[in-house]
Amino acid sequence: MDDEQVNIKKTPLYEMHLSLGARMVKFAGWQMPVQYESIIKEHEAVRSNAGVFDISHMGEFNLEGKDVIKFLQHIMINDLNLLKPSKGQYSCMCYENGTVVDDLVYYEETPEKFKMIVNAGNIEKDLQWLNDHIKDFDVNITDLSTKRSRIAFQGPKSDEYLQSIIDIDLSKINRFFFAYCNINESPVFIARTGYTGEKGFELSVDNIHTNKIWNDLINLGATPAGLGARDSLRLEACYSLYGHEISDAITPVEAGLSWLVKPKEGIRYIGKDVLIKQKAEGAKRVLVGLDLVDKGVIRGDYKIFKDETEIGFVTSGGYSPTLKKTIGLGLVKRQYSDVGTEIFIEIRNKLLRGKIVSTPFYRNV
Amino acid sequence: MDYKFPEELKYTPTHEWVRVNDTQATVGITDFAQHQLGDIVFVELPEKGMVFEKGSNAVEIESVKAVGDLKMPLSGEIIEINEKIVDNPELVNSSPFNDGWIIKIAFSHPIEIDELITADEYKVITQKELQQ
Repeated sequence: MDDEQVNIKKTPLYEMHLSLGARMVKFAGWQMPVQYESIIKEHEAVRSNAGVFDISHMGEFNLEGKDVIKFLQHIMINDLNLLKPSKGQYSCMCYENGTVVDDLVYYEETPEKFKMIVNAGNIEKDLQWLNDHIKDFDVNITDLSTKRSRIAFQGPKSDEYLQSIIDIDLSKINRFFFAYCNINESPVFIARTGYTGEKGFELSVDNIHTNKIWNDLINLGATPAGLGARDSLRLEACYSLYGHEISDAITPVEAGLSWLVKPKEGIRYIGKDVLIKQKAEGAKRVLVGLDLVDKGVIRGDYKIFKDETEIGFVTSGGYSPTLKKTIGLGLVKRQYSDVGTEIFIEIRNKLLRGKIVSTPFYRNV
Repeated sequence: MDYKFPEELKYTPTHEWVRVNDTQATVGITDFAQHQLGDIVFVELPEKGMVFEKGSNAVEIESVKAVGDLKMPLSGEIIEINEKIVDNPELVNSSPFNDGWIIKIAFSHPIEIDELITADEYKVITQKELQQ
C-alpha cells in the first residue's frame, strides 16, 4: 500500500456504507459513497420523499472569543450585521484579488461563539488562512472535523419525518436558523440548510451518535444517497461547487454570487476593493446555464464557442434526472451571456449545438 | 455484489463481451462494467460502415457521473448498431448481455478471436479491480 492509501480517511459511517452496498470512491482524501443502488433513484428519492447523506468529510470549526464578529467581518464578504444568534449565513472568504479561498456557512450561537462548516478539500487551507489572519483578534479556533460527524437530511418529507423523532417544533426553525436538540435522545445540532434545492436539514453530531442517528433517519423511510446524487441535485439547483463555479481563479461576482458582496460601510474586508468594483462595473465573464440541443452529455472543462470564437468553458455538467436531459453551468464572456444565445460546446473534438438558458434548472425551497 | 459472467461469451480485459457467430460478432459491455458506470443516460454510437482497429474507441457511454467507452474487441466494420439504446440507454444497465447489446461487427482478422478471454479469466480481472 502506498502512503495515499494508508492516509485515506474514513467517516464513522464507513462500515454502514459498505453494508448498504455503496460504491466507495476517494473524494478530497476521504473514502465516500458515490452511490448505493443508483444515482437516479437516490436523486428522485430526495426530490419526492427524503434522502440521507453522509457529509462528515466536510470540515467543522468552532470559533470563540470576544472578537469573533470583528474577525469574521474582516475575512468574510457577507455582512455579519445581517446575522443574529440562532441563525447561519452563507459566505465566501476571498483573497485580495477577489478569488475565493472557500465558500462556507457559519452559525452564530452567541456573539462570541460561532460554528463554521467548510468544504472537505479546503479544511487545511482554511485553518491556515484563518490562523494567518487572526493576529490581534481575540478568537480561538477549534477543529472539530474528526470529532463530530455531519449528516444532511433532505427532501419534501424531511419535516414530517423528522418531527416524529425530534424534541423541538421544527416549524419554528426558519431557513438558515438552527437549534441544539435531541433526536431519540441523541444530542444534535440541526440547521435548516441544504445543498439539494429541496427543503431539509443539516445535522452535526458527536461521533458516538452518528450511526444511531443515521439508522433513525433511514428507518423513517428516507433513502441513503451518495455523492453522485448530491452533485446532480446541487447542479439542478445551481449551487456553486468549490473548484468548479468558484475557485482561487474565479470571483464570486463572476460566479453569480454578487449578492454576497456587501458594502459593509466603514469596514475594510479582504477582497473588498476588487469585488465592489467588479460588482459595480460587471465582471468580464459570467456564469450561465447551458442547454444542449444536440444529443450528448455536457461535462466540466468542455470548451464553449460562439461560431468560431472560444468564449468560455463548462464549470459543471451532467445529466439532470429531474429534467431528463443534460444540463450544465459555464463561465463565458459577458457579451455572449444573454439567455437564448446559440453556442457550441466541444465534446470529444465535435462541436455540438447548445444555448444559454436561465437558472436555476430546478429549486423547491 | 454478484455480477453475471455468461459462460458462452468471450471477453476482453477492458470489459467488453463478444458473441462470435460465423463471420460476425455482437458486442456489448459486461454486467460488471455497467454496474461500475452506474445509470447510463447516453450512448454515442458509430455509424454503420465505419471501420475500426482492435482496441480503438468505437462507442462512448455516458452515465450520470462518468464517461466510459467500448473498445473494439476485434478489428472490423460496424454492420449494425442497436438503435433501441439511443432512446433507451438504460437497457445497457438492465440487460447488458441481451437487449442492451451495442454493436455488431464483421471482423477482418479471425485470428484475433484467440486473444479474447474466457468468462473465468475475465472474472479474475474484475476481482482484482475491485481489490484496488
